[in-house]
Amino acid sequence: MNKLILVFALISLLLINACSDENNLIAPVKNPVQGNVNLTRLVTIGNSITSGYQSGSLFQSAQNYSFGNLIAMQVGASYQQPLVADPGTKGRMEIISLSPLVIKYNTNSGSPVNTNYSLPYNNLGIPGAVVYDILNATNSNTCASGKAGVPNPMFDLVLRGAGTQFQQAKALNPTYITLWIGNNDVLGYATSGGVSPSAPTPSAVFAALYSQLADSIASLGVKVAVANIPEVTAIPFFNTVGPQLAVSFPWTAKNVHNVYYQKHGESVGTGTADSLSLLKGTVLLTLKAASYTSDFGLPSGRFYRENNYPAIPSGVDTTKPFGLHPQNPIPDALILDENEMITAKNSTRDFNSAISQIALAKQFILVDMNTEFNKLRANDFTGGTLIDGIKFKTSFITGGLFSLDGVHPTNQGQGFIANLFIKAINSAYNATIPVINLSTLPGSIILAKKMNKYGLPEFSPGTFDNIKY
Amino acid sequence: MTVLCCLLTFTAYPGGFQINEHSARAMAMGGTFTAIANDASAIYFNAAGLTQLKGFHLLTGTTMLVPSFSFKGVAPEVKKYEGKTQYFFPVHFYASYAVNDDLSFGLGFTSPFGLGTKWDENWVGKYMAVETLVEVFTVTPVAAYKVLNNLSVSAGLVYSFADVTMTRKVPEGTFAGDAFIKLKGNDKSAFGYTFGVMYKPLDYLTLGASFHSQIKYNFKGTAESNGAKQLASNLPHGNIQANITTPMFLNIGAALKVNNNLTISTEFQFVGWSSYDTLQVNFEDGTKSANPRLYKDSYIIRLGGEYVFENGISILAGIYYDKLPVESKMMNPTLPEANRIGSSFGLGYKINDNFTINASYLYLYSKSITVNNSEETYTSGNAPFNGIFKAGANIAALSLSYNF
Repeated sequence: MNKLILVFALISLLLINACSDENNLIAPVKNPVQGNVNLTRLVTIGNSITSGYQSGSLFQSAQNYSFGNLIAMQVGASYQQPLVADPGTKGRMEIISLSPLVIKYNTNSGSPVNTNYSLPYNNLGIPGAVVYDILNATNSNTCASGKAGVPNPMFDLVLRGAGTQFQQAKALNPTYITLWIGNNDVLGYATSGGVSPSAPTPSAVFAALYSQLADSIASLGVKVAVANIPEVTAIPFFNTVGPQLAVSFPWTAKNVHNVYYQKHGESVGTGTADSLSLLKGTVLLTLKAASYTSDFGLPSGRFYRENNYPAIPSGVDTTKPFGLHPQNPIPDALILDENEMITAKNSTRDFNSAISQIALAKQFILVDMNTEFNKLRANDFTGGTLIDGIKFKTSFITGGLFSLDGVHPTNQGQGFIANLFIKAINSAYNATIPVINLSTLPGSIILAKKMNKYGLPEFSPGTFDNIKY
Repeated sequence: MTVLCCLLTFTAYPGGFQINEHSARAMAMGGTFTAIANDASAIYFNAAGLTQLKGFHLLTGTTMLVPSFSFKGVAPEVKKYEGKTQYFFPVHFYASYAVNDDLSFGLGFTSPFGLGTKWDENWVGKYMAVETLVEVFTVTPVAAYKVLNNLSVSAGLVYSFADVTMTRKVPEGTFAGDAFIKLKGNDKSAFGYTFGVMYKPLDYLTLGASFHSQIKYNFKGTAESNGAKQLASNLPHGNIQANITTPMFLNIGAALKVNNNLTISTEFQFVGWSSYDTLQVNFEDGTKSANPRLYKDSYIIRLGGEYVFENGISILAGIYYDKLPVESKMMNPTLPEANRIGSSFGLGYKINDNFTINASYLYLYSKSITVNNSEETYTSGNAPFNGIFKAGANIAALSLSYNF
């Protein structure tokens, strides 16, 4: 009997030893030095996209997913940002209801979290920045838009009076720099329907400014990645309203064949667009136009009232059916017409050609955002782009890549961008930074089943007023 | 509705939810009771054994189960997450009556499945499982008949009722926070059956076999969601229905009476887990959420012994090996599985001719399982849930029997 007990005791003892072997996974060693590149002090210079701006606001829970921070997290590098506590800078767009889709902006704002950080921020992306600003702007008034009479407080938030974006990047003694700038040199023109500013930065001026900027950055003697500019017409800000209106507007019932719009610089109501041209996007209606589609066919001057026009433009008669009568056309500011599209396209082409030439000359690596976003757009027509088990499209809300302002990426959109940088860095410097699984980032927006009258979102007045691109 | 339901898959009844501990004495012997079955708990283990008993027997008690489980990951991360400690007290109750030397009847009440897991609501696997509770109860009337002097058979009807609650989170797209989803369901009447046979070819050798059938449950209940109000109509809600079949299991054992004091018993238990291949939840709007589980048949090998002293005290010990019924690539934190080794011991005391008390302790060791080819995702996309699973349990049982 005693032997039996002994045997059981021995077996038990053996088992305890045999089974307490919780074999350990080996934690990945996060090392900012990868291959021939050192990301210890990564500095990202750019505009709203670099800053992590989403849905019309700079707010902490989105800034945490800026592509710069995502890259830094992948390699375990420290990366400081000008965080603003949620709900962020005034004007964050929020979905009030999905069905009908009602989007409102948040009138509250959060406070900056780390203004006392003693060094410049690693993230030197400033919403609204144009190529000129990086070497020249030191505050809200000296930025290009400030000089034009529209101060941009985002510069004060990020720069804190300690010099330009470039000077602060230099002061950080960076080991690696990303530069993604120039989007606003064409985007501001496009999002305002070609009204404000009335032209993109001239191509020659852009090339000169970019070249000067590249010289300055090259003088720091560190490795640099630059990104080029995606086609502005490939974003939901321009591709949501027209195609939706084309398929859901009751053309037959209203006995109309086309809408009338105001062509830039021409007499009232000379522009016409039928459902096919709206569908194909030969004329683009901006996202701002969504709120006014419910007035189509009604005598309405709501647009001019809500946007504080001092007077109804001459030749416009708001007693005529809005959008369906040449004397009450869709206003210029809501439309990117054929000529404006060509202007935007040509500028983007010229800017990108300057960027790639300068990058080549300076031995900066080039991340071809334009090609990658065009691929995403092309895939939309074959059902989308499957990444990490999620189907992405460039469409508004349902696409998962763009936030509510129709311009800026979601968390997952930022992850997509971060991966493009990571892949370019890996291939250029023989590095092995792991790419981010996009499904691990909190992100895509819930599909709405119904929108307003014509399946379009309703934006409360002022929703777009605070946006800095 | 459709969109979010695609994100919802549900898992229930992994092997670890099976409870085989339905009397302190049997548990102490590593569960090797099919060929012994000489107290009222035979109603569960092998009712054919009831013909060994005279008169009226009662046996009742409870088992305290304290499972422990952890996950380390998600690879390449190595953060360790531990499930919250929970205590479960399944009760067993048996009553038997021998009409004469040949014929006995019995009635048993047990919880053959019934455990739960609870993780922190913000843990990395929150979209897979937060809290799961499964409770299955059975009431089993049996009859046993001595066919020959050394051969008895039994048959029983199993009436069962069950409750299932599953909660987890689902992501809400760009909305801050997640939605909490709670599914509750029950089946108030499901039926199965049992058979048993006991054969004594030699005075010192007993062979036994018992069979418990599958039980098909038709759970009906409700889905509740707690998320952003804008999404209320998109989140799962309303009535739900799910069919779940618990596996059949077959035990074959042999008991050897070494001498007047010592009995050694061994046993093989086959568990037909392959019945559990897909769990589909049907929502009232017609949406279905199916989750392939692809369980495989499994087995448990047991060895145990009992030594009875002249003064009425007995010492018992046992050991068993329980094979993982699921491929590691399907491992899910609803209840982490493992290849387990149970090691048990116990004490019995015959207080007088009528009363006997048994107490026992069982420790379930599990070897951790490293998963690096997971087909389970912990996101709304396809990020594999790779990492190290570990699951064990401390189990104690107390039973009291009374005969007259």
